[in-house]
Amino acid sequence: MNSSHLSVVVDLAPAHWHRSSLHTPSILDLPSFISQLLAFLNAHIAARHENTLAVFGAFPGESVLLYSSSDPPADYPPSDANSFPPFKMVNSIIIRNILSHLESSTADEQAPSALVSALIKALCYINRLTIEFNASTSNAAEGLEPLALPDPRILILSVSPDQTASYIPVMNSIFSAQKLKVTIDACQLFGPETVFLQQAAHLTGGSYIYLERRDALLQYLTMAFLPSPAVRETISVPTQDKIDFRAACFCHKNIVDVGFNQVSYQDPAASQSGQAFTATDRLFCVEVTPLISSVNPPKNGWRSSGYTIAGLGSRRLAAFRSYRIH
Amino acid sequence: MPTIVCTAKVVYKKTPGILELTDTLLQWTQNGQKAPSVRVPYAEAASLFCSKEGAPQVKLKIALFGDDNGHNFTFMASNPVALGEREKFKTELTTIIGRNRKVLDASSKLPTAPIPSSTTPIPQVSRPSIVPSRTSASRATSVSSDSIRATPIIPGIDPAADFRHRKNVFLNNPDLAVLHRELVVGGHITEAEFWEGREHLIYTQVAQDSQRKGKSGVIVDPRTETVDGVIQLTPQLIQDTFEQYPVVAKAHSENVPSKVFTCNVNDVVRIFFFTNTDTTKLSEAEFWTRYFRSKLFNAHRASIRSAATQHVVKDDPIFDKYLEKDDDELEPRRQRDVAMDLFVDLGATREDHEDTGNEKDVTMQAGKQKGALPLIRKGEGPSSKRLKLTTDEREVEGIDIEDLHDLEPSAGIALEMQDSQRYFEGQMQDTGQDGTKESLDIKSIIRNTVVNLQQWDLNLSQVNSLVLVLCYHSSKMFLKLKVERKAYDAALVSMTQNVHARLDAQSRKNDIPENLFKQMRSCQSAANEFLRHFWASISPPMSEGPTLGPSTPSQRAAKAAKMIAFLSRTHEKVTALAQIAQQQSVDPARVEVAMQPVLRAVDRALTFYHNKRLGQRLDQ
Repeated sequence: MNSSHLSVVVDLAPAHWHRSSLHTPSILDLPSFISQLLAFLNAHIAARHENTLAVFGAFPGESVLLYSSSDPPADYPPSDANSFPPFKMVNSIIIRNILSHLESSTADEQAPSALVSALIKALCYINRLTIEFNASTSNAAEGLEPLALPDPRILILSVSPDQTASYIPVMNSIFSAQKLKVTIDACQLFGPETVFLQQAAHLTGGSYIYLERRDALLQYLTMAFLPSPAVRETISVPTQDKIDFRAACFCHKNIVDVGFNQVSYQDPAASQSGQAFTATDRLFCVEVTPLISSVNPPKNGWRSSGYTIAGLGSRRLAAFRSYRIH
Repeated sequence: MPTIVCTAKVVYKKTPGILELTDTLLQWTQNGQKAPSVRVPYAEAASLFCSKEGAPQVKLKIALFGDDNGHNFTFMASNPVALGEREKFKTELTTIIGRNRKVLDASSKLPTAPIPSSTTPIPQVSRPSIVPSRTSASRATSVSSDSIRATPIIPGIDPAADFRHRKNVFLNNPDLAVLHRELVVGGHITEAEFWEGREHLIYTQVAQDSQRKGKSGVIVDPRTETVDGVIQLTPQLIQDTFEQYPVVAKAHSENVPSKVFTCNVNDVVRIFFFTNTDTTKLSEAEFWTRYFRSKLFNAHRASIRSAATQHVVKDDPIFDKYLEKDDDELEPRRQRDVAMDLFVDLGATREDHEDTGNEKDVTMQAGKQKGALPLIRKGEGPSSKRLKLTTDEREVEGIDIEDLHDLEPSAGIALEMQDSQRYFEGQMQDTGQDGTKESLDIKSIIRNTVVNLQQWDLNLSQVNSLVLVLCYHSSKMFLKLKVERKAYDAALVSMTQNVHARLDAQSRKNDIPENLFKQMRSCQSAANEFLRHFWASISPPMSEGPTLGPSTPSQRAAKAAKMIAFLSRTHEKVTALAQIAQQQSVDPARVEVAMQPVLRAVDRALTFYHNKRLGQRLDQ
């Protein structure tokens, strides 16, 4: 095991951080969060010389790459005698980028933070690394299946609540992560538990933690998220035992306990015997289903009816609970 | 109590009843009667007749030794189901009769002592003279002890059919059968109550039973199953042979006297035959014996390893006449269906690709190994038949290619959503309501943050001794980071506990003794069943099919009360289980934890019931 790649997705929504800084009894504000985060990142790059790091910031309405160890900056910060140059470089670049982005941002400040967008960028980044990694091996020349990066992972540090509209992108990211063999770790720093991050961590074999002691963030970061997946085979890391598997319904984007899948009737004779159902992936909540089932669908009519979720394809969602409409 | 191998609803002498095959005898019970009025011990069965498939009535006739009239049963179920039922009887009886015949042959062809054929179908007495084997004798004598056996009739609309379907459900679902045994046979709830809410299982079973199975496409290849080289001849095998090798059917019809073959006008095929003295013609048995030894059969075998059996093959003046030349010429004897589906024919567009297409593969030569040709061509027969069956259905589909259709703008089906406004606003809701509540001045927040961070950036250049400080004990200034020991301790402890709990659960073995575990399981499933009935009686489910359960409010209330009485005992049961656990040196807490969800559900039902009662009393 030579190296371990870590992409960190940091939720930097000012509104939620503001609320977090007012949340008593234990206050966690952005500056103190960033100093603990930087300590954690320094720990990661110090753990092994070959370790790589990328940091993505999720600002309201847009996501930015804050730091990437594979693209060294043009201007090195002036080194001083008392600091370890690699740490200094990481810390100062991240701070500088956050600041410049906060100052110059023109996006709508009210918009929810682009956590999913940052997550997808992180996945793309890892994909790029995978391609570069494969270019140097003989695999690419022989046209073989690309090798997966050793031990890539993504850590999501979120302060925002779930956005139900982003359920499908999150699920798609989870599938991509599974394909790239990326482990997704997640830590919810503030607010309610998030269903989607729990699922993301669970489905990719990562660890999800809700920050209970908000005054001990660094402890959580080092203990749960510093060991790379390879190390976790030896060292158990804490995670949440209970996972909320609910999904968001397609129609109202509410998180529902019980949803209904559409059913296409293949053959009237077979449908009577209750055997030849094929369920699609759209999940509707109770309010809509009676209406849908009252419309008598023609043979395979749903497919042409124009509300297929693009990108969802025919994948079975592990999180979906499907029920048949009769 | 004898085990029942198979049962079916049949009509016997114009009276409906139930035909059952137990492990010792075949019996028929008139509907409503308790004791069977027809009993045929295994040893009595001489031969079996069946009506042809496709005949309007599905009949089964069993002839007895000395009573060729035998008994005639007509299956009452709808056609495909009845066929399946008869098939079961047929396979069972065929083996029994085969055994009987062997015994008969072994007993040096004793003259069959004719039994006066009784007009009334009363139980036959056993005939030890024909049945020298001990097992058969004991079977025959065990008849009397079976007379006590009564067919369980279950209250319902159509008891016999219902019973059969339910039995099939149990056969497919052993867990349910166990539950049934505990609750219904144990006398806790009635049969009807048990099935209430499970009607769909029966409907599914009925639907499954009524589905028709297609024909098997396997090449007929009779093999000797025992060392002595005996081929078990079943009616199915005969039929398949005739179908796949018409020449055998031809030989059969020309050489076996037809009066023996169809001895009954009612389209009945006789399976086992007595020897026959006509010398020019062959008896059924002779026919098959000679066929299996002939070259013809060898040519029909689905194997090219015929050389191994060469020594068994004898010249046979009759069958050799029907011998065809091996189909190993360059062109197959049976010409292919010329009208080939253009969509499957790869050669159809060959002329378009002469210049650009692939070279012909010269290494591939059809029929290079001549010996394999007949076998390959034989195999093509059944498979092309099957293909034809499927391609016929596909014909229209094949012509109708999606790409050829004009792109018509599809109107789609309007999704009428209740409260559709919410669909569009759903996205906004997450942030919207918070934003309005607090009306944060985001701009100023950002400004403050920036100022804070800039200051912090200055600090960064000052605070420099920042080699990794991962642990709380060096709680000094670190990137302006104050670390409090207490909080970090607490976090460490809680996370360690988390890991510990998980590892503990993993490492702990499931050491609850099987016996106790079984009791826990049965307690749980019984409580669940009572709960199901309780809630079903409180709020009856909407159901399309006829329900078996009570429908009037008073009946339902009575049932709910009964279920509550059962449920209130659950706590005692769990306590008892915990005590048993203690006796067996298992931690009783584990039993309690395991039963916790059930108890919670039970408590919920109890509270609900008592509140409801209270409410009713107040109303009065």
